[in-house]
This record gives sequence, C-alpha cells and structure tokens, in this order.
Amino acid sequence: MRLELTSRSFAGRPVLGALTLEVRRGQRVAILGPSGIGKSTLLRIVAGLDRDFQGRRAVPERLAAVFQEPTLLPWRRALANVTIPTGADRAAALALMDQVGLAGKDRHFPRQLSLGQQRRLSLARAFAARPDLLLMDEPFASLDADTAGRMLDLTAALLDASGAGLILVTHDPAEAARLGAQPLTLSGTPARLA
Amino acid sequence: MPPPGPRAVTLAPPSAPPSAPRGAQPHAGARRGRVPGLVPGLVSLGALLALWAVAAALTGNPRRLPGPWAVGHELFAIAASGELWFHAGMTLFRVALAFVAAMILGGALGLAMGRSPRLDRWLDPTLVILLNIPALVIIVLAYIWIGLNETAAILAVALNKIPVVAVILREGTRALRPDLDDMARVFAMSGPARLRHVVLPQLAPHLAAAARTGVALIWKIVLVVEFLGRSNGVGFKIHLLFSSFDVAGVLAWSLAFVAVMLAIDAGLLRPWEARANRWRQDAP
Ligand SMILES: Nc1ncnc2c1ncn2[C@@H]1O[C@H](COP(=O)(O)OP(=O)(O)OP(=O)(O)O)[C@@H](O)[C@H]1O
Ligand SMILES: [Mg+2]
Repeated sequence: MRLELTSRSFAGRPVLGALTLEVRRGQRVAILGPSGIGKSTLLRIVAGLDRDFQGRRAVPERLAAVFQEPTLLPWRRALANVTIPTGADRAAALALMDQVGLAGKDRHFPRQLSLGQQRRLSLARAFAARPDLLLMDEPFASLDADTAGRMLDLTAALLDASGAGLILVTHDPAEAARLGAQPLTLSGTPARLA
Repeated sequence: MPPPGPRAVTLAPPSAPPSAPRGAQPHAGARRGRVPGLVPGLVSLGALLALWAVAAALTGNPRRLPGPWAVGHELFAIAASGELWFHAGMTLFRVALAFVAAMILGGALGLAMGRSPRLDRWLDPTLVILLNIPALVIIVLAYIWIGLNETAAILAVALNKIPVVAVILREGTRALRPDLDDMARVFAMSGPARLRHVVLPQLAPHLAAAARTGVALIWKIVLVVEFLGRSNGVGFKIHLLFSSFDVAGVLAWSLAFVAVMLAIDAGLLRPWEARANRWRQDAP
C-alpha cells in the first residue's frame, strides 16, 4: 500500500499536509498523535472512504478495518455480523469468535453485547475477512488492561499467521511497541508524519 | 421564523423510526398484555354496533338505514351464494398487483432520490405534481388513454400510490447510517448483500409505514376504479347496488371487504413488522 498525499482540507481548512505512507506486506505501522490531529482522516483516505483529497493512493485488494466505533449491523446476530460482510464460513467465524472470547454469544444481537464485547466482535469480523492490509482505529479503547493485552497478542498472532500489513491508529505508544509496529507521529497544522 | 415544512415533519432520526413504538409493544406488554389489549377494541366496536342499532330503530326506515341485523343477514346471503368470494377475490387481486407494483417502483424511486441529491432535484417537481393530481383524474385519463381494461385499472391505482411510497422511502434513505455504509465499502460487500443486510433493514420501519398507508389507500382507489370501469369486483357490485339504492347491500359489501383488509393487516403486515423489529428486543 502506498499513499502520496499532497493535502486534505475540510471547508478550506487544511488538516493533513504533504506526507507519504508506505506499508508492505507483513509490515506494521502505528500512527500516533493527539486527538483531533487527523489520524482518523488519514485512515479513511487509506481505506478509500474519503476520496476528496489531493494525492495518489494504491492499495491491495483485500482490506479490513476495525473502526473507532464497533459499527456492527444491529439487526443481524453476532455470528452473521462476522460472516455477512466478510463472506467467511460459519466454522471460521465461530473459531474467531471463540478466540476473541465471544464463545456462546453467536446468537446475540449487537445491542445485547457490552461495548467491549462489540469491539471484540468487530475485531473478529476484521480477521474473518483475511485481509492483506488491516486498518485499525483505536480498536482497544475502552477495554480493560487485561482484555486489551489479550486482544493485542491475538492481533499480533493473527497478523503473523496471515502475513498481512497493519496500520494502527492509537494514542498509546505502548500498544504500538507491543505489536512491534513502527511508530509514526502526526503533528503540526496541517499535520505531517514524522 | 420559517414555518416547518412537510419535510421537517416526516424527517425521523434513525433512532426513532415511525413504527418503533409498535415494534417495542410485544415485549413491553409481554403475554399478559395481549388479552386485556383486545378488550377496549371490542368494547368500542360493540358500542358502535349499539349506536347503529339505536339510530336504525329511531330512523324507522330500513331502506334508508338498515340495522346491523339486516346487514348481517345480507352479508350471510352473499357469502353463502359464493358471490362475495368471487368479487372480493377480484378486488383483492387488483389490490395485490397494484400494491406490489407501487411498493417496488415507488421504493426504487425513493431510494434513488434519497441517495442522489441531483436526481432528487430533477424528479422532485414531478413527484409533487403527481402527489397532487386527484385519484379520479388519473383513473379517468388511464381509462381514456389505455382503454377500459385491467392494465389501465391497475396502472391507475399504482400511479396514485407510487409518489406516496417514494416520498416515505426518500426520507428513510436520507436517514441511512453513513458509518454502516463505510463498513460495507471497506469490506467490499456486493450490491445485493448491501441492499439486503445494510439498507433494507434500516428502511424496514419506512417500508412498513408505506405498506400500511398503502394498503388502506389502494383498496379505496381500487373500488373507484371498479365502480367506473370494471364488470366485477366489490366496486362493481356497489355500483349496481347504488343504482337500486340498496343500502343494506352497500354496507354488507363494504363491511366484508373492510374485514378482509383488517385480516391482511393483522395476519401479514404486523407479523412481518414484529419479525423485522426483533433485534430491538432485549432477550437473546
Ligand atoms: N467530515 C468532516 N468535516 C469537517 N471537519 C472534519 C471532518 N472530519 C474531521 N474533521 C476535522 O478534521 C480534524 C481531524 O479529525 P480526525 O477525526 O481525523 O482526528 P483524530 O486524530 O482521529 O482524533 P481522535 O484521536 O480524537 O479520534 C478535526 O479537527 C476535525 O474537526
Ligand atoms: Mg479518530
């Protein structure tokens, strides 16, 4: 994946400046920076959700994302929330749900899960897509230290197994270190990578 | 201060869709609420019948206002002779065809206009004009232009309903959740999968609202269409009874068909709505 960004502005106000981001298969990158600096904006551009920028972008076929909010389908049960968007089969989805600690919750609707459980379901969904590049926006926020630690290890293991690349947005350098991700910091107005 | 337009009234946030309270009812009332829930309805229906009987007795003119008993007798006669089933069946067939056509065409139009502001700007004036043409005008023109046939009849009914469905679905589409759209795009969900799992479930309350108002409106228009230019159906029978000033007959036929439409609402629309709203409930 390679992004050569010239700029991204909202209503004439530049948020992101010129920057280049390159992530090869198996490579892990963490994007750090204070709230409101433009981390989610950068990730949305990489994900192809924001096309209103100046620059060039080349990404692999299979993307998966863990958004800042769980972003589940409230009208589909937990298992269907993993299989429907990703096309994963039932057995693979159940195994992933087991790994994120949601065994036995497959028939629950999202609103019958706690926020932390919803976040873990969203994690399982992302892995079920077998992505070449995984995009994560503060996926471990609001999880207790123990669970967050286990999810980090699981993420690392699944990335090792699949050889996928990772772009992780976080405000916690320790998270980046634990995943072995190269930390890049967004700073300044408009923000640039350093 | 600008007056609130009709649009502002129909705009519902996704958290408060038009039919959310109905969907919430079954579990709020649980099973104990079911039987007492029927009582007020039955009592008010009984009171209406009593009022009718009293009015009929006071009028003392069974040709002008026959009592419930006479109408019931008439109802039994047309049901026993088989006449009721044939004509009600024809009417129901026209209602069903016009309903399906209006829901699909109006739904697609509303979805497209809700998604694309450009298309909306182009088609909105046409929609407003169509909404304001009297049903009778559309029916008469359809019969003149297409001929006194089934196609013209059903098309005229559907044309009356399409803009109503389109407007309801356009509002629903404008309130679609952008975050779920993003999710579907990142995971590269196919078009049909998106429609089925992401878009339509969000539009379910609007579809239900359109269906309910649709059925009510459509059967009334079908009766007019039959009155004016068909040789069977409930509207045709009422035409015949009207020429002989047979009030008992008119009442019997209309009551029979109201019962059919209520049965469809209770037996088809409500169960579907309850199913579509299951995810809002607490129990797993
Ligand atoms: N759709 C939008 N329209 C206008 N401004 C926006 C929009 N999206 C983001 N912004 C602005 O862009 C800036 C960066 O927002 P962004 O969401 O990328 O921050 P962030 O680094 O992810 O912050 P946080 O850590 O709090 O999630 C903010 O100042 C925000 O107000
Ligand atoms: Mg953010």
